[in-house]
Amino acid sequence: MARDRGNSDDYTRPVRRILIGGLVVLCLATFLFWRIDSPRAERFRAQIVDAVVPSFDWALVPVTKVAGMIEDFQSYTRIYEQNQELRRELQQMKAWKEAALQLEQENAKLLDLNKVRLDPALTFITGVVLADSGSPFRQSVLLNVGGRDGIQNGWATTDGLGLVGRVSGVGETSARVILLNDTNSRIPVTIQPSGQRSILAGDNSPLPLLDFLEAPETVRPGDRVISSGDGGVFPAGQLVGQVVLGTDRLLRVRLAADYERLEFLRVLRSHPGEGITDPGSLVAPVRAPVPAEGSNG
Amino acid sequence: MVDPVSRQQWSFRALFVALALAVVFVQVLPFRIGDSRWPGPDLLTLLAFSWVMRRPDYIPAILVVTVTLFTDILFMRPIGLWAVLVLLGFEFLRRRQPFSRDLPFLVEWMMVAAVLLGMTLTNALVLAIFLVEQPVIGLAFLQMIISILSYPVVVALSRFAFGVRKMAPGEWDALGHRI
Repeated sequence: MARDRGNSDDYTRPVRRILIGGLVVLCLATFLFWRIDSPRAERFRAQIVDAVVPSFDWALVPVTKVAGMIEDFQSYTRIYEQNQELRRELQQMKAWKEAALQLEQENAKLLDLNKVRLDPALTFITGVVLADSGSPFRQSVLLNVGGRDGIQNGWATTDGLGLVGRVSGVGETSARVILLNDTNSRIPVTIQPSGQRSILAGDNSPLPLLDFLEAPETVRPGDRVISSGDGGVFPAGQLVGQVVLGTDRLLRVRLAADYERLEFLRVLRSHPGEGITDPGSLVAPVRAPVPAEGSNG
Repeated sequence: MVDPVSRQQWSFRALFVALALAVVFVQVLPFRIGDSRWPGPDLLTLLAFSWVMRRPDYIPAILVVTVTLFTDILFMRPIGLWAVLVLLGFEFLRRRQPFSRDLPFLVEWMMVAAVLLGMTLTNALVLAIFLVEQPVIGLAFLQMIISILSYPVVVALSRFAFGVRKMAPGEWDALGHRI
């Protein structure tokens, strides 16, 4: 096109080019830094998110509430069929409740007989979901509890029923939870009743994949999946979900946690398992120093 | 000091930042957890591209880079990569903006589509080279297609709601250049 460029363009264009080049180099340097020193970059990211998102809080809460109200209102239109459905479910639940009560009593008796002590260290902190990842490729949520409340990286979160994800990225007042269906999520699980060990690998779909199964033929859809705690980073025995057969004929897990409405999450305070470093003391316990015994007795 | 032209420029820059914040705010709301079948369009990139094709003086490159870098950090993307791709695509379009002023919209749309395709491919390639765990490739392309399809909507919105239109012949920009 016949554009008559002004004379001053001749001066500004090289400066502009240098500026753009500088910006490109800066961004690439940031990317390289992120790639090379990922933990530090992620800590930096957590700090920024920690500073930004909770300041949205005043606006996030009302908007979320209004959206919830609209959703509830929509559900009124289906109230009759819901009522029928609920009645049916209630009927089934009564039967289950009876069974559960009996099992609970039986379980209590057996535990008593076995003198089993359940892990008292597994207490929890409850947080409210502030925000999600904002990207369709990242499945994570942000909680309003953080380093101030003693949250640490790697702790598990549940919604009270099933496992939701793992804390990854802790700010002062916020913590990011990577959900089980994120592509970066891998947790060790056990499938009951066959006792197969497997890795639950998220792949951005609502049903994460069961990976590295040794004997897939022993696993059937409907089997319970619980976390196994292998590797010591994740608490064992937390309910994850049920095995289902995906449309692609792969074994997947329908998560027990209700991902559609994550409002409150429990962060399980897990402590690292005590490692056995000294094999000798296992075989023959080291004698305690004599004076110590004397002072006890 | 504050002449109407540069005041208009600065108000549009502020509007871009405000729109960016609004987009971030809406995307960060915890609604769509676990629902990943239909990724939404990349509104910020579309907004920047549609504005630079109309009024490049409203939207300096440094603003686009800052906003994109900020969303990189917030949306858990690899920090800096998407920002540099947006910057390169943005500069490419800005370079061609004076020549495409008289072309029909369809050509502009195709050009933006080509740039988005190049950006998505480069993104996937760089992530593969650097061995970064990346999202399912089909999903990334689905998002690109949805973005391309929503480009006319973004253009119409900026044209009719915010009044970002191409400069008519005979207008002057802030430095007094004849367009």
